[in-house]
Amino acid sequence: MHPRATLPAVTATSEAPASFRSSSVRPGALSLVQGGIREVLSRRRLIAYLVRADLRKSGSDTLLGNLWWFMDPLLQMLVYVIFVGIILQRGGAIEDYPLFVLCAILPWKWFQSAVGDGVSSIVSRERLIKQIFFPKLVLPVSTTMAGVVSFAFGLVPLLAITLIFYRGHLSAWFLLIPLVAVVQLVFSLGVVILVSAANVFYRDVGNLTRHLLRMWFYLSPALYPAELVKEIAKDNPIIADLFALNPWTVLFGAYRDLIFYGRAPHWTGLAILLAVSVVMVLIAVYLFKRAEPSFAKVL
Amino acid sequence: MAADRVTVPASDRVVIRAERLGVRYSLHLTRKQTIRDSIVHRVRRVGDPDFWALRDASFTVLQGESVGVIGPNGAGKSTLLQVLAGILVPSEGVVEVDGHISSLLTLGVGFDEDLSGVDNIRLAGAFMGIDHRVVEERLPGIIEYAEIGQFIDAPIKTYSAGMRARLGFSIATSVEPDILLLDEVLATGDAAFREKSKARVLELVREAKAIVLVTHDMNWVTEYCNRAILIEKGRIAHFGSPDEVVELHKEHMAERRAEAKEKGVLRLRTRTPGSGGRRRKG
Repeated sequence: MHPRATLPAVTATSEAPASFRSSSVRPGALSLVQGGIREVLSRRRLIAYLVRADLRKSGSDTLLGNLWWFMDPLLQMLVYVIFVGIILQRGGAIEDYPLFVLCAILPWKWFQSAVGDGVSSIVSRERLIKQIFFPKLVLPVSTTMAGVVSFAFGLVPLLAITLIFYRGHLSAWFLLIPLVAVVQLVFSLGVVILVSAANVFYRDVGNLTRHLLRMWFYLSPALYPAELVKEIAKDNPIIADLFALNPWTVLFGAYRDLIFYGRAPHWTGLAILLAVSVVMVLIAVYLFKRAEPSFAKVL
Repeated sequence: MAADRVTVPASDRVVIRAERLGVRYSLHLTRKQTIRDSIVHRVRRVGDPDFWALRDASFTVLQGESVGVIGPNGAGKSTLLQVLAGILVPSEGVVEVDGHISSLLTLGVGFDEDLSGVDNIRLAGAFMGIDHRVVEERLPGIIEYAEIGQFIDAPIKTYSAGMRARLGFSIATSVEPDILLLDEVLATGDAAFREKSKARVLELVREAKAIVLVTHDMNWVTEYCNRAILIEKGRIAHFGSPDEVVELHKEHMAERRAEAKEKGVLRLRTRTPGSGGRRRKG
């Protein structure tokens, strides 16, 4: 993508700028990133409204409404338990396979909906973007945040299932779930901001991400333990390395450590992922802000 | 042509200053929708045509002024408004705006179909950057003015076109901006609401620091504006008193119609002025 347009020098310290100067002079990378972060922070209420609108919509047309937040992950778990556990007979190797899968389904559903909705977050607001000036960065940020809420609700059935069927897995490590969720949030933000902007210029991105997401899920240790891949890739260090570099290997592993195994997660892996994600978010914000002035023209 | 400043200024305070403003649409960027198109484009080595929707526009608007923007379709009127609103960033030149802006560019679009009227009002307020307490305070007034009735709690997708337009107008004019940008909003809704909205716009003209308004209603320009801009082919053809500018616009339109007739372009006699010009809506 080659956004040729230039950038605004809009000062947005208050919610609505009392004055602005818009010129063809392009601000530097640092002030772009700073400006982007400032915009998001100053428009917290708009983001909150967008998140609420998102959630309200998700349940409004269905009979069971928000009950689906609890049902969705459970039904998806059931699909995998039937498919992998009963038909393929591969779940037997892992004890308590339903809980094992649910640990991965919950965070993945969040990521999937954040990226899936995030891709079209800018494009779907086309008409608004051509009418009102507002920082476009709030759109991908709010779709990512909306997933946090449904993830939090998904923890309720997880806890219930653990209490009823898998009492042995319950541990104090459950309390650290939010910590891993923060790492996931930062990672998701970077991805969503990037794809939302890219989709404005190339609508293919939307189609592509759907398939990439599915492939990513199956290539990550969601339905199977990470050891399985290590076994397969014993003679192939490249695959083993790639697998280890997959952010979702780290994230699924961490969630599973806390929920399923009741042990400490791989702290170094999480710390590295967090650091990489922060850098990714900064780069994503920079690229987004560079492309932002072209949105109204290209859409 | 340079802008001549002939009218008596309402005050000396400059609220909008545009200097050699230009907006370029890179057609290569706007047309390309998929990666395939872009590759085809590269392979065929098609040139990269640029289109200047607006160029070399310099003018100032003083506090208390009401400026009418007229010109044929596709001349760059809406583009000018979008730049002033901050929606488009100039490719050339500078625009400086001093004061809170409310842009009422097209009514009723941008609503969230699945949300109720009330939620849409709140969301629109948040998008415009209005403090939420102010929005809550004005909520009853907005609902009442829009004449939506009990439908206000129903999703927007159940609204008629007229209801949407009324709600959009009601939201956009509920803010008290220093500078109001209006794009052909005087022709929405039924006759009764049109009267009402005209009255409201006039009220805002009196309240606001400055108004820039795009319209095809020449009577409005001569009656309520104290200055006018004629835009043709992306350039300011004339900037001066409303009578003068409207006169010039009418002359040019007549010339263009005569020219079109000569070329043998099929044209309906009954067409109103303002329907000529090139494609492209800003």
